Amino acid sequence: MQTIFSTPKSIKENSTFTFCPGCDHGVAIKLVAQVIDELNLQEETIAVASSGCSVFLYDSLDVDCIESPHGRACAVATGIKRAHKAQGNNKFVFTYQGDGDFASIGLGESLHSALRGENITAICINNTNYGMTGGQLGPTTAMGQITTTSQSGRNKEYHGFPIKTAEHIALCEGSSFSARVALYDIKNIINAKKQIKKAFEYQQKGLGFSFVEILSSCPTNWKLSPKDSHKKIQEELSKIYPLGIFKDVENE
Amino acid sequence: MSHIKIDNNKCKSCYLCVDVCPKKLIKKSETIGKTGEYIAQFCDKNNECIACAQCAMVCPDIAITEVIKS
Amino acid sequence: MKEKALLKGNIAIATAALNCGCNCYFGYPITPQTEIGEFLSVEMQNRNLGFVCAESEIAAINMALGAASTGAKVMTSSSSCAVALMQESLSYAASDELPIVLINVMRAGPGQGYIYSSQGDYNQATIGGGNGDYKTIVLSPSSVQECYDMTQKAFYLAQKYRNPVILLVEGLLGQMAEPVILNENPYPEIDNSSWKLDGAKNRPSRKIHSLEPNQIKLCNHIQDLFKKYKTIEQNETDWEEYCCDDADILITAFGAYARNTKAVCDYFRKKGIKVGLFRPKTLYPFPSKRLATISKNVHFIIDIEMNCGQMEKDVALATLGSVPIWNITKPVGDILSPETLIKKIEDIIEQEEKKYANNI
Repeated sequence: MQTIFSTPKSIKENSTFTFCPGCDHGVAIKLVAQVIDELNLQEETIAVASSGCSVFLYDSLDVDCIESPHGRACAVATGIKRAHKAQGNNKFVFTYQGDGDFASIGLGESLHSALRGENITAICINNTNYGMTGGQLGPTTAMGQITTTSQSGRNKEYHGFPIKTAEHIALCEGSSFSARVALYDIKNIINAKKQIKKAFEYQQKGLGFSFVEILSSCPTNWKLSPKDSHKKIQEELSKIYPLGIFKDVENE
Repeated sequence: MSHIKIDNNKCKSCYLCVDVCPKKLIKKSETIGKTGEYIAQFCDKNNECIACAQCAMVCPDIAITEVIKS
Repeated sequence: MKEKALLKGNIAIATAALNCGCNCYFGYPITPQTEIGEFLSVEMQNRNLGFVCAESEIAAINMALGAASTGAKVMTSSSSCAVALMQESLSYAASDELPIVLINVMRAGPGQGYIYSSQGDYNQATIGGGNGDYKTIVLSPSSVQECYDMTQKAFYLAQKYRNPVILLVEGLLGQMAEPVILNENPYPEIDNSSWKLDGAKNRPSRKIHSLEPNQIKLCNHIQDLFKKYKTIEQNETDWEEYCCDDADILITAFGAYARNTKAVCDYFRKKGIKVGLFRPKTLYPFPSKRLATISKNVHFIIDIEMNCGQMEKDVALATLGSVPIWNITKPVGDILSPETLIKKIEDIIEQEEKKYANNI
């Protein structure tokens, strides 16, 4: 008898995700928990959850956690990391944010944390809309994509262009790692975990700001089945937001 | 006999596991879950499960709590 | 012998913060408080403490929020219009029960205004510019020595009650130099091991959050906060009285603008007119009970403020309309000289006498 898979130790016992059926948030949190277990970080981690669906991280992840005001997760994480350093501690600090949080309202805090080379990790769930409020146009909504506030599709006259977050973070001198991954099939889930692990390890090595953008599904607001949502990511979104590593200071 | 454990309270009937199972051993049950849909069920009469754990990897709700190989 | 130094208010605040163990400062430049950040940029880096030149005031207060969650002694400083930017996170900090010391060295005006000294943020500080039911403790120094002493007290109260504390300082005081006795921090350390976030080692994990989807839990949380505020009101209300015991006329004023009113009291006392000064040192909690007691025997109150009369409503609430309230206000500019104040008060006395004569 061999256990191939069991619920990660860093997931709270008897916790149930409150996400919609088929939402990739659950997969992302599971991967984060697995990496925390593998790197033995549970006892020294402080996670920063943000506003939006991503806030529910703290309901399931069994580590110390603080909720940040909308968009400010990287600033809050900066404070935590620096304060622990000032008290002679080295703690592991990461943020878990949505694309609206990281790249719209919080773009200033995110970009400046990367520019400062703040030794934290940011995980950004990119589902191309504001999920919790019912699917409005966000900073990453693709051109032509229909949302409740772009009902005839995103167009450049009214809405302008979306942001390619991982590429922007890669341009910051202080960032150590920036990758975009997806979760639409097993191969990509395995790769996503690998990149999250690398980002976490870079923080452990003190290399600076590490970042993973995760292309995720939002079946409810996309009005697609979980399966078709994954198909949309595979066939459409990963063409617009190419998967890959945009910066890796250890492999330059 | 390799097998998986599904937590009926956690399953939200997204059926991603149904699609991913290479042996087609997971299907809709006749039990209605919390979302009002039929939850997933593991049916392996012929001991075909290879414990590849792909179902556990895709499950967004960690409803597949264990994958055992034997 | 205690060390004595000639310090500007801003430097006195920064020095006091360091002396009582402040280990994190996050800030963004704005006149008239910038010297605090400049001074600490050197001192904190020398001591390997947490210091970030934040990209905005919003980032600064949120860094403070994060740092406070680790149990650190955190300070940020800013001025009026930029403190307005910080209000969201102050509301979060109040709900999260995180100790943050915020120094507001006030400038004038709504909007950008200008760097002239003012007391225009009384409402912003005491009522709160953030959303929801919450309170921040507000301390109001009237000398550079008090800037020093009250900064130490601000850290203590923040830790003791796990609540944001605002030190409300006029630009005048921030920029003014006076001799300061560098007192040792008189306050005890507060144990924060039961709530701080330092990794879930040998204990269950903790979460600090203001989001609460459960209606009953949210309701209880807010009610618990207000029980705490009640305790703060009972324990920490502080004020100064000058010649109040037998006063017929009571001046109410706060902060640096209360200074000249003492000379005014002396002047009228010499002329046989009994004028006293009541100065709240904590603007929240406001010393309503004491003010109500004192005002029982006075003929009228004159509220003097460097704004359009923001504290006046708290004076009115405390006295419940039992005493007429006059005001001498000026929203911006130089402190009113004792001579100007005396003239204005003489005018008020004259009008009150006429009113009295007419009633007879």
